[in-house]
Amino acid sequence: MQDLVDGALGRINSAATAADLEAVRVDVLGRKGVLSQLSKDMGKLTPDERVARGKFINAAKLALEGAWETLKNRFESEALAARLNSEWLDLTVPAPGVRPGALHPITQIQWEIEDLFRSLGFSVLDGPEVETEHHNFDALNIPQDHPARDMQDTFWLDAGGPLGRFLLRTHTSPVQVRGMEKLQLPLRMIAPGRVFRNESVDASHEHTFYQLEGMMIDKDVSVGNLIYFMKTLLGAIFKRDVTVRLRPGYFPFVEPGFELDIRCLICGGPGCPVCKQSGWVELLPCGLVNPHVLKMSGIDPTKWNGFAFGLGLTRLVMMRYAIDDIRWLQSSDLRFLRQFGQ
Amino acid sequence: MKFSYNWIREFVPGLEVDPHSLERLITMKTAECDGIAVSGELLKGAVLARVLEVENIEGQKNVKALVDAGPYGMKTVVCGAANCRAGIITAYVPLGIKTVSGIESDGMLAAADELDINRDHAGILELTADTVLPPVDHAIEIDNKSITHRPDLWGHHGMAREVAAITGHPLRDPADLSLLPPLGSPVQIEIEDFHLCPRYSALVFDNVTVQPSPLWLQARLTAAGLNTKNNIVDLSNYLMAELAQPTHAFDRAKLAGATIFARPAREGESIVALNDETYHLSPANLVIADASGPIAIAGVIGGRDSAISAVTTSIVFESANFNASSVRRTSSALKIRTDASMRFEKAQDPVNTLRALARALELLPILSPGIRLVGGLADNCAELKVPPTISLDLDWLARKLGRVLDPAEVRRILEALQFKVSDDFEVSVPTWRATKDIAMAEDLVEEVGRMIGYDSIEPQPPLVPCAPSFDPPEREFLRGIRRHYAAQGFTEVSNYSFISEEEAKRFGFAPEDHVRVLNPIAEGQELMRTSLLPGIHRNLVENAKHFEDFRLFEVGREIHLSNGEKPIERPHVVAAIYSRHDDGRAGLMELKRVSGGELRPAAAMAWEHPSRAAEVVKHGQVVGRVFELHPNLIDSGRAAVLYLDLTQLQQLGAAATRYQSVRRFPTSSFDLSVICPAREYAATLETAIRGFAGELAEAVEFVTDYQMPDARKSLSFRIVAGAADRTLAGAEVTAIRERIIEGLRGLHYELLV
Ligand SMILES: [Zn+2]
Repeated sequence: MQDLVDGALGRINSAATAADLEAVRVDVLGRKGVLSQLSKDMGKLTPDERVARGKFINAAKLALEGAWETLKNRFESEALAARLNSEWLDLTVPAPGVRPGALHPITQIQWEIEDLFRSLGFSVLDGPEVETEHHNFDALNIPQDHPARDMQDTFWLDAGGPLGRFLLRTHTSPVQVRGMEKLQLPLRMIAPGRVFRNESVDASHEHTFYQLEGMMIDKDVSVGNLIYFMKTLLGAIFKRDVTVRLRPGYFPFVEPGFELDIRCLICGGPGCPVCKQSGWVELLPCGLVNPHVLKMSGIDPTKWNGFAFGLGLTRLVMMRYAIDDIRWLQSSDLRFLRQFGQ
Repeated sequence: MKFSYNWIREFVPGLEVDPHSLERLITMKTAECDGIAVSGELLKGAVLARVLEVENIEGQKNVKALVDAGPYGMKTVVCGAANCRAGIITAYVPLGIKTVSGIESDGMLAAADELDINRDHAGILELTADTVLPPVDHAIEIDNKSITHRPDLWGHHGMAREVAAITGHPLRDPADLSLLPPLGSPVQIEIEDFHLCPRYSALVFDNVTVQPSPLWLQARLTAAGLNTKNNIVDLSNYLMAELAQPTHAFDRAKLAGATIFARPAREGESIVALNDETYHLSPANLVIADASGPIAIAGVIGGRDSAISAVTTSIVFESANFNASSVRRTSSALKIRTDASMRFEKAQDPVNTLRALARALELLPILSPGIRLVGGLADNCAELKVPPTISLDLDWLARKLGRVLDPAEVRRILEALQFKVSDDFEVSVPTWRATKDIAMAEDLVEEVGRMIGYDSIEPQPPLVPCAPSFDPPEREFLRGIRRHYAAQGFTEVSNYSFISEEEAKRFGFAPEDHVRVLNPIAEGQELMRTSLLPGIHRNLVENAKHFEDFRLFEVGREIHLSNGEKPIERPHVVAAIYSRHDDGRAGLMELKRVSGGELRPAAAMAWEHPSRAAEVVKHGQVVGRVFELHPNLIDSGRAAVLYLDLTQLQQLGAAATRYQSVRRFPTSSFDLSVICPAREYAATLETAIRGFAGELAEAVEFVTDYQMPDARKSLSFRIVAGAADRTLAGAEVTAIRERIIEGLRGLHYELLV
């Protein structure tokens, strides 16, 4: 009997594959297997012999099943390991499918600044790109034949008909006028958008570029308020503390008018090529709104006043990304634009 | 405009500030400086020198000169000037020894342009023993835009006034009005319209010698960026650069009659100007005329025929004031801008005409020794406006600036700028600031603010009401559009608002349907775009040179004529998918997906692939098109394009979300395959099936299509049937299926059942 069991054990242990093992299992542990044979003559045995035989069979069963199980587990884990090994993948190949898109860098910076202003309670307004002479010039205190009109070379449009002379807005300031006509006082508003100047295009000049105009009308707005506001705003835009200075600047729609410079962010003051060795970079025009402008928009300048400023979005984009040629921005060249994808 | 540092210092005695510091002070307090340059750098160390001997150098144009260079001793200098000859007195510049033409040359002999005296480079200077060489100077360049509002700053004396006020020095006035003779000139002045010409003053001189000006005067003009010509013309420029008052000298012998007229040009009149150009005039142009016709375009340019020449011996020297708008209109209509017109269009002070004549009376005897004044002053003048007086409330001023002010300091600043200030701060504006510049109290805020320095004002947070901002919904909508397309892999491009006539025609748009640019900057930018397609087309063609596959989009405005009214701007989005190698199907389907609408077959436009064009329909309304670009418009590859009207799209809006109860009873579904002609639209069949299926069909979904060997195709649909309140019985589902099959057969479709 022991030989029988040893023989079966030998067969199990010598199985080379999972299929062999399965065949042995049927022969050894199956209904007609070794264990069944051992219990075949149980009925003919004495009670004592039966007990002994039972023990023997149990022990043999445990031994055989154990051996089978061990081997089965080994075969399974070997098979799994082989499958996993065969499923090697190169995950360094580029992912297929659509590559990410990108917003235009002007859009990105415009949204960033819009969000900043909205957090400060400013409305974001939009205006037409084709403007009337009234909104672009007269209502901003730049009458016909005023030399200040030379400051902004204008594209004139023929739209037919008797009133047919229009222009492409030379600044986003006309939206100020529209804002004053539309919003309740006191008001805080910005107007970002595309503007046009009749200038030849080169590395630093474009006839089509983007500006953001801002205005706040309230009671007793002071130059001190304007400085505070600009400092806060620019600190948020450049994400660091900025030093600003105001110096006189002439813009007919403000009085007094300023050029605002910031301490050079590259050299911090001692001078470098970016600031032309001056330590300062001219950044934006601003000022207290000229009473004539308020009056022309139906606001009583003895009760209300405020400040206005203009921010060059195109310029800001060029500063932030160190773009050396303004023409890239209107190039629609994906070699350039894809660099701004997230 | 360029300012000579020496010239400014002449009017601000005791000014110790160096040129660079002065430039910074002016930038911070008055006007923006564009830069600073040394004028006459070589004048440093230059001396008079006598040429003693000149020797030719074999085979060379240059000569070898022995010169007596005064304090530097005898020097051998190689010189290339044709006029270098023994005996002349010239200027010697010690530059050290250098080998020229094989000879050691010690220093150089200078031409006038090398010393920035004038622009003459014909030969070395020929001087007299008593010549004094001018000193080295610095030219400070001021940005013209920053003094547009300041007629007074177009002359050195005006800038000197600022410098004196900034530094606290006294200001010297170069014009001594007591020099002027009483009225009584041999010429009469007739002014037709005092609005156009508020003042015309003149003096007559004879015994005039036309000759070069002294070097110091030439050097000043050169530093200020002006040309030199002869003493009379130079004087005119000198007065303009000093006092901002343009003047002009006529050769009296060339004038017809003794009356000078300031009048509108007569129809058909013309003039040959000093620049040798002929100008055809109209009554919109003010002219100066004698009995025979125009002798100058008022405020712009003199006439050639009455100009000063070498033989001039008698002159009429005029100093006038003209209406700023009129000068500006004439100068832009005739396309001629001069130093004079630039000043007059800033609104000059009529008081200034006499100041210029007084200064001329002082300088002419120096420039033309022996010159004689003939008779007295001619001066025809409108009643001059009294400059305004402005009440300055110091509390108000402090509130505007946001800083407490010492009344004594405010007074000191205004008085230094030559405002008159009464005890209770009634401020009188000086005439040269009253023409256009200063009229209200806000203007005084600037005067005080810039002089105290804006850096002396503490930043203060404004107190503002806590109120929600007003945000037009279209901005958020446009943001959503941009975000959507960028998220779907499209890169945002930005095209000009201009297109060319040729581009318009290529797309079949009539040029006359466009708003036209009257002064286009370049060829190809003469029309305002009525479609974003020409731009996107250009982008597709250009980017296809670098990429095999790409997606791009633009949000921009179409600009349309509106019956002569203000043109209409319509925002659109255009998105395009380019692929060099595939059959174009994928791109179109992808655009259909991102459009979020349904596509309805439509007749193709000229620029569309005739068999691949459809309208985009949303909530039953056409909002745009999807199409493949016509192969004529693109050399290789295929471009699928989506074009949507954003105004329409926004108006449709997003339907308000409303919860519907989730179904509780199971549905049953079955598939049907319909055989149909190759060009049958799936949407047609889907609609038909929906109709036959009735209300219990929850969904009819396209599953797949299959091309049959006989050029027909089979389209498979899955029909899902169910009811909200129960599970459908098998018989009910079968009935739906039978109805559909029967209905389709009625329409002569075969079914693969
Ligand atoms: Zn720097």
